[in-house]
Amino acid sequence: MGVSEEEESSLLLDEKLIRFMDQLESLEEKRATLNSLIEQGWFSMSKARYSMGNKQVSALQYASEIEPLVCVNARTQDNGEVQFCTERPTQKSSKESAKDLPIEDVGPQEEGVRRRNKPKKDIREKEASEDASSKKAPEANPVRKSDHDPQQDPLKWFGILVPQSLKQAQSSFKQVIELSAEIATLQIAVLNTRQELKDCLKNKHTLQKKGSATESR
Amino acid sequence: MAGRGKLIAVIGDEDTCTGFLLGGIGELNKNRKPNFLVVEKDTSITEIEETFKSFLARNDIGIILINQFIAEMIRHAIDAHMQSIPAVLEIPSKEHPYDASKDSILRRAKGMFSADDFR
Repeated sequence: MGVSEEEESSLLLDEKLIRFMDQLESLEEKRATLNSLIEQGWFSMSKARYSMGNKQVSALQYASEIEPLVCVNARTQDNGEVQFCTERPTQKSSKESAKDLPIEDVGPQEEGVRRRNKPKKDIREKEASEDASSKKAPEANPVRKSDHDPQQDPLKWFGILVPQSLKQAQSSFKQVIELSAEIATLQIAVLNTRQELKDCLKNKHTLQKKGSATESR
Repeated sequence: MAGRGKLIAVIGDEDTCTGFLLGGIGELNKNRKPNFLVVEKDTSITEIEETFKSFLARNDIGIILINQFIAEMIRHAIDAHMQSIPAVLEIPSKEHPYDASKDSILRRAKGMFSADDFR
């Protein structure tokens, strides 16, 4: 009976060891892909810097307001493992808001022109100027919003017509972000399997000790 | 945004941060606190460590990406972090290629095969 238990625990141990090795192999492969993608990204960025100028691609160009365009969802599974998956939820909404903005801009601009031609009488001059000043303030806001839209594509920080190489750098880093979530998941899985393996090993040792004690009797 | 998903933070040299920010991970929150740290020549280790610890303490961060050569400077803080979230990922930098033997996670995994485990 004791032997079969020992065999069972050995089989379980083997199974976990194989899983552990598989996970490590997969981690190594993904790491290699991640490293090459990052290198590719840097290379493209260097090319962009060469064509745009040395100081045109640096931390100085970061926007004053930054909103994330990607986020990770962390799901904790029953066995304690955490699964990360990336999500780009704001892309649609930013496109929609970009579509909405020009419509908002057109309205107040026309209104402003109409009002400027209208008042020429001395009596209403003061009122008109007050109205104009009070209505110019809300006019300025939507323009500012479109200028400093925090959800804009980070490519625009570096100019409107950026070189293709900077776009390539962006796509490489987007892939790196996807891959880094996978690697984070795998790292946690590796540590989890390692802990299970340790527990199994301890269990096997106690079973062996018990078995040897009964044999000696 | 933070309610829906978690952020990816980055601690790295200028090119690494610029690359990841191009990818769209950057955020400046209401308190104007960024989720990234550009490490330059004059950035002190204390500052790096404090930023790393502040990222660990924030509950809206899911993954922390850190250049391996910077991770080496604050290795004790990284080794002390045992929780799954946020996950810490060491990445290469331009001057320092990735070395698996220095990676905290792989060193922990390697620990599996130390003599103590077989006693």
